[in-house]
Amino acid sequence: MKHQLFDTNVHIATGGRTFNNDGEILVFIHGSGQSHLTWILQSRYFAYRGYQVLAPDFPGHGLSGGTPLDSIEAMADWIIALLDSLDVNAACLVGHSQGCLVTIEAAARYPDRVARVGLIAGALAIPVNDHLLSLSDKALSEAIQAMISWGHGPMGHMHDNTQPGHSFLGFGNQLMAANNQNALKNDLIACNKYKNGEDSASKIQQPALCILAEKDKMTPLKFGQQMANTLIRGQVTVIESAGHMLPAEFPNEVNTTLRNFLNETDKS
Amino acid sequence: MSGDYKFDTLSLHAGHVPDERHGSRAVPIHQTTSYVFKDTEHAAALYNQELGGHLYTRISNPTIAVLEQRIAALEGAVAATATASGMAALATALLVLCSQGDHIVASSRMYGANINLLENTLPRFGITTSFIDPNDLAGIENAIQPNTKVIFGEVIGNPGLDIMDVEAIAKIAASAGIPLMLDCTFNTPWLLKPLELGANLIIHSLTKWIGGHGVAIGGVVVDGGNFDWGQNDKFSNIAGPHYAMDGINFYEEFGPAAFTAKFRAEGMYNFGPSLSPTNAFHILQGMETLSLRMQCHMDNTAKMLEFLVGHDAVAWVRHPSLPDHPGHELAKRMMPRGAGSIIVFGLKGGRDAGRAFIESVELASHLANVGDAKTLVIHPASTTHSHISAEAMVEGGLSDDMIRISVGLEDFTDIKADFELGFLAAAKKLKLKE
Repeated sequence: MKHQLFDTNVHIATGGRTFNNDGEILVFIHGSGQSHLTWILQSRYFAYRGYQVLAPDFPGHGLSGGTPLDSIEAMADWIIALLDSLDVNAACLVGHSQGCLVTIEAAARYPDRVARVGLIAGALAIPVNDHLLSLSDKALSEAIQAMISWGHGPMGHMHDNTQPGHSFLGFGNQLMAANNQNALKNDLIACNKYKNGEDSASKIQQPALCILAEKDKMTPLKFGQQMANTLIRGQVTVIESAGHMLPAEFPNEVNTTLRNFLNETDKS
Repeated sequence: MSGDYKFDTLSLHAGHVPDERHGSRAVPIHQTTSYVFKDTEHAAALYNQELGGHLYTRISNPTIAVLEQRIAALEGAVAATATASGMAALATALLVLCSQGDHIVASSRMYGANINLLENTLPRFGITTSFIDPNDLAGIENAIQPNTKVIFGEVIGNPGLDIMDVEAIAKIAASAGIPLMLDCTFNTPWLLKPLELGANLIIHSLTKWIGGHGVAIGGVVVDGGNFDWGQNDKFSNIAGPHYAMDGINFYEEFGPAAFTAKFRAEGMYNFGPSLSPTNAFHILQGMETLSLRMQCHMDNTAKMLEFLVGHDAVAWVRHPSLPDHPGHELAKRMMPRGAGSIIVFGLKGGRDAGRAFIESVELASHLANVGDAKTLVIHPASTTHSHISAEAMVEGGLSDDMIRISVGLEDFTDIKADFELGFLAAAKKLKLKE
């Protein structure tokens, strides 16, 4: 759906259903240089299983207009402002990669607005090496190719896709190339300078699920486990053979794990 | 995994990981029409595109998906969808892109069936085509109308062997806000990856070099994912609500794979141009040796050209790697590994000599195919292009004396000896006439 926030046209994927703020709301938050398309196989799945789905494109990403935001804190505030503008009181935030940092920060800053937390292929900090930062500024297509290559595990590189006929690498390259030229650079700088992860994560009282990838090269498993250990009510599932882009590489495992978590924490 | 796999590795492996239960190293043939759903929720989810997976082989199939993913990997595409033939791929792609009242700009120098589809069949459904010389860039640009939905052509034209300037035509298409779709059957991704030059959609007849064995018919539509279907209001069938699935908008939901999503949801559902899983398996066997075969095709083509150009019986020879071909420099720049293994030539003595040649060769097979491992010969004017008009033949660069060779992988000394026999027969025919 199209939405206005701070004079910016924002695109929000709702999983193919009309959004209704009365229901149980899941907000999917994409990673660096990504868009709502990270969540192709989550947004529709959950929207047709009783959840109200919001998978927004941050400014300068995907189909949203505007200029990319320059810090994780600003992104966390933006997500909450988006909820305000949609009259949403509280939601479950689910982040991927950089989206995990945004989720952690939002949950710590606005504990009353974040009911539950899902952290997929994340860590408490995502430092970015100088070479990649430089590529994102001076040779964007090389930066994108490097991230898509590192971001995918064995299944991705073997093009063994649950979506018949699809290539993970080809899709990932085109998804990132379609963003604002500064989107990736801004995101990587924002990740690099974010230092609140451990402090913020340790404040999160809400139920939290970490879904981690065994073969993650971008936020390696040991850092994901450190994140899970820092969360007061954290639980963790590791998907074997998965790379960093596990929402696409292992969508069925991610969906089932997240759905079970939502069902179980509903009961609790 | 130490990095991105290279072409030869992808030709062997892409799209397939042995399953844990059986461990079959070869791609299994899933010769089935349908797939058992886990429960009613699973069934509904597959129909509603909430999950990836297979629900009916008309739409997708695990063996065919390996082939599609392998092609997508080799082309650097976001996705590919296989069809029963190259013509099924082209016809379905055009019917997904175009509606009644729409217009196509196409190369005038193409395979007879491509021309026929555009010139005779699609107009019955209100879709018209302007045919333009593929080397006339201004002509292509000027032919674009407000209702034009695609520019289409063959990178290496069949049988005239005209070369399209992919990069230049891609720029024309991009500035008009329409996609460039190319038939890349003659070049294969081993010679050229047109998506890297700005093309948006690719058609292959998999029957030809990609299969290479002449045992299975197949086609594929490759989606570059590099065209913005929402940039204007021309493609509301892709960037607007679909008639099913609660009005799903493929552009918003699938981004770079929007065309493929629409192609599968409408093209495969409603037209049903499905490939047989067994044929997909056969084509996959061919793909494993694509690099090896293409190198040998190029080597034998070079030898054949040297032989023909210097032969007394030969009146003329055309191939883009010859310096007198108008597309020579372009072909050299675009396809440094070679410009394909099709050669056309004429014999002194014209059509009658050509007929005698074709009927006298024994090793070369006289048949209507190209890209086979075996050397093939045919007279296009009376066969592959006989259903197009005389004007279209002239426009397409076809002459009555033209013989088309698809150079195979035999030991070249044997092909040469066979052709010498054919030339002798042609010479005899010429003498009798005198």
